[in-house]
Amino acid sequence: MRALRLLALLALASTAPASAEDLVSGLSQDQIEITSNYTGTDLVVFGAIENATSQDFSGRDVVVVVRGPNTGITVRKKAHVAGVWINSNRIVLNGMPSYYYVASSRPLSSVAPLDTLARYGIGLKAVEPQTESTPIQGKAEPYVEAVRRQKARDRLYGEAPNGVEFLSPTLFRVRVPVPATVQPGQYRAEVYLFRDSTVVSAQSTPLFIGQAGLERRLFDSAHKSPLTYGLATVFMALLLGWLSSFLVRRTA
Amino acid sequence: MEIYLPVAEMSVSWPLILAVGFAVGFLAGMFGVGGGFLLTPVLLFFGIPPSVAVATTASHITASSISGALTQWRRKAIDFKMAGIMLAGGLAGTQLGVSLFRALRAAGQSELVVSGGYVVLLGTIGGLMLNESVRTLYAQRMGLPPPSAKQRHHTWIQGLPFKLRFRESRLYISLIPPLVLGLIVGVLTAILGVGGGFIIVPVMIYLLRMPTNIVIGTSLIQIVAVTATTTVLQAVNNYSVDIVLAFLLIVGGVLGAQFGARIGARLRGEQLRLLMALLVLAVGAGLLYGLVATPTDLYSVAVGAP
Repeated sequence: MRALRLLALLALASTAPASAEDLVSGLSQDQIEITSNYTGTDLVVFGAIENATSQDFSGRDVVVVVRGPNTGITVRKKAHVAGVWINSNRIVLNGMPSYYYVASSRPLSSVAPLDTLARYGIGLKAVEPQTESTPIQGKAEPYVEAVRRQKARDRLYGEAPNGVEFLSPTLFRVRVPVPATVQPGQYRAEVYLFRDSTVVSAQSTPLFIGQAGLERRLFDSAHKSPLTYGLATVFMALLLGWLSSFLVRRTA
Repeated sequence: MEIYLPVAEMSVSWPLILAVGFAVGFLAGMFGVGGGFLLTPVLLFFGIPPSVAVATTASHITASSISGALTQWRRKAIDFKMAGIMLAGGLAGTQLGVSLFRALRAAGQSELVVSGGYVVLLGTIGGLMLNESVRTLYAQRMGLPPPSAKQRHHTWIQGLPFKLRFRESRLYISLIPPLVLGLIVGVLTAILGVGGGFIIVPVMIYLLRMPTNIVIGTSLIQIVAVTATTTVLQAVNNYSVDIVLAFLLIVGGVLGAQFGARIGARLRGEQLRLLMALLVLAVGAGLLYGLVATPTDLYSVAVGAP
C-alpha cells in the first residue's frame, strides 16, 4: 500500500516539467505507534533524484536528517567538594531536539563546509539549544557537548557518515534507528541534495511518533484522572498481595 | 521479552523486572521490611527515571507488605494501636517529605541528599544491628547468658509523658516515640522511596523494646498504609506511578515475599538480624562509593527545566 503510494508520488513528480535536479522522498511509515511490545524500530527514508542533468555524480551528495520534538534540558556539573562529588553548577538549555539522526552519502566534512552545514542544522556539531541560561561560571559549550555525548550514548543522537545507500545512481535509501526511549511527538525527516557543496533541493516530511492501544489509555488515565489511576494501582497492589498469601497458604 | 512502560516511556525486559521484584520481595518477607531501600537503587541502575522509580517502588512495597502483614495478622502478631499512632505521624511526614523533595530537586541537590542520607542511615543502623547480633550469637556459642543490655528498662523513653498501654506489645509507654518515628519514616518514604521498615524494626526492638514477634507485623501494617497513601499522592502530584512496571514488580514481589516469610520464620532472630545488618551495610557501602568515586561523566543531563 505504502509502496504503491510512493510509486504514484514518484510517477507524478517525474511528469512535472522541471529543469534542475530535484528530489522526491518518502518514509516507510508516516506514523510510529508505540505499543506494549515496542522495542524500537527502523524508519526507512527513501527517495530519488529527478532530472539528473549530468552523469557526473562526484560532486553530488544526499544528506538525511531526522529530528525529534524540542525539549528543555537541565545539565548539571559535579565538583569534588570535601571528598564527595556534588552538583555545583547547572545550566538550562531550551529547544534542544530530543532526537537527532543524520546520515550522509559521504562524511559530512567532505559534503560541505561547516558553516553551510550549520545553516541547515546538519551534523551533531550543529545541534544547538535555541536559548540557554548562563552558567554560574564558565561557558555553555561544555554543557551542550555533554548533552550531545550522553544522547549519543543513549542512541538518541546519531551520525552515519556513509548511511545513505544508493540502489542506483538516482535511487537512495537510509535506515534510521528509532530506539525504544524516544519521546513521543512530532518528528521531521529532512532530505537535502547537495551539488558541489551547495544545497540544490530539500524536502521535509513530518512523522508522528505516539503511544497507541493499551499504552495510550494507561498514559492518558495517568495524566487525565490521576486519582483514579493511583487508587487503581493501590487496589491492584493490595489484591495481588492478598491473592498471593491465599495461594501459597493453600499449596503449603 | 521486552515490554514498554507507558509512564516511564521506555521499554524493559519483563522477565528481568519480574526477577528483581521476586528477589526484593523475598528479602522483604524474610526481614519484615518493605525492601524499597534495595528496589529504588536497582531500578535507577536499570535506567528508570528517578521520579518513576521512587513512586512505583511505593506501590511494590504496599503489595509485598500486605501479604506479609496478612500472614502476621493470622498469627495475631500485630499491635494495631501502635500502628495507628505511627500512621498518624506517617501521613504528616509524607506530606512534609513531598514538599521537601520538590525544593531539593529544584536546587539540584536531591541526589546528594538522597545518597548521603542513605549512607548515614544504613551505616548507623547496619552497624548497630551487626554489633548487637554478633555479640548475642557469640554469647550463645560460649554458653553465656545474652548481653544484659536488653534487660535495661529505665531508658529516657520511660520518662516521656502521655503514656498509653499497648496490650499486644506488653508495654506502657508515651505515645510520643511512635508518633515521631512515624513522622520521620513518612518523610523518608516520600524522599527516598523506602517503606522505612529498616528503621522501624530496629527502633521498635531497641528503643521501644517491643517483643520481636510483634514488631514485624506491626511495622508491616504501618508500611502498607503509608506506602498506599504515598502511591496515590505521587500519582496525583507527579504523574510518576507506572502501573505496568508496578504490576511486574508486584507479581514477582508478592511471590518472593511469601517464600521469604517462610524462610524467615525458620531462622532465629539473631541470625536474621545479622543477615539484615550485612545487607544494610552492603547497600550503604555501595551508595557511599557512588558519592566518593570519580564519576565517569562530570555532567548529568535531565530532561525538563527544574
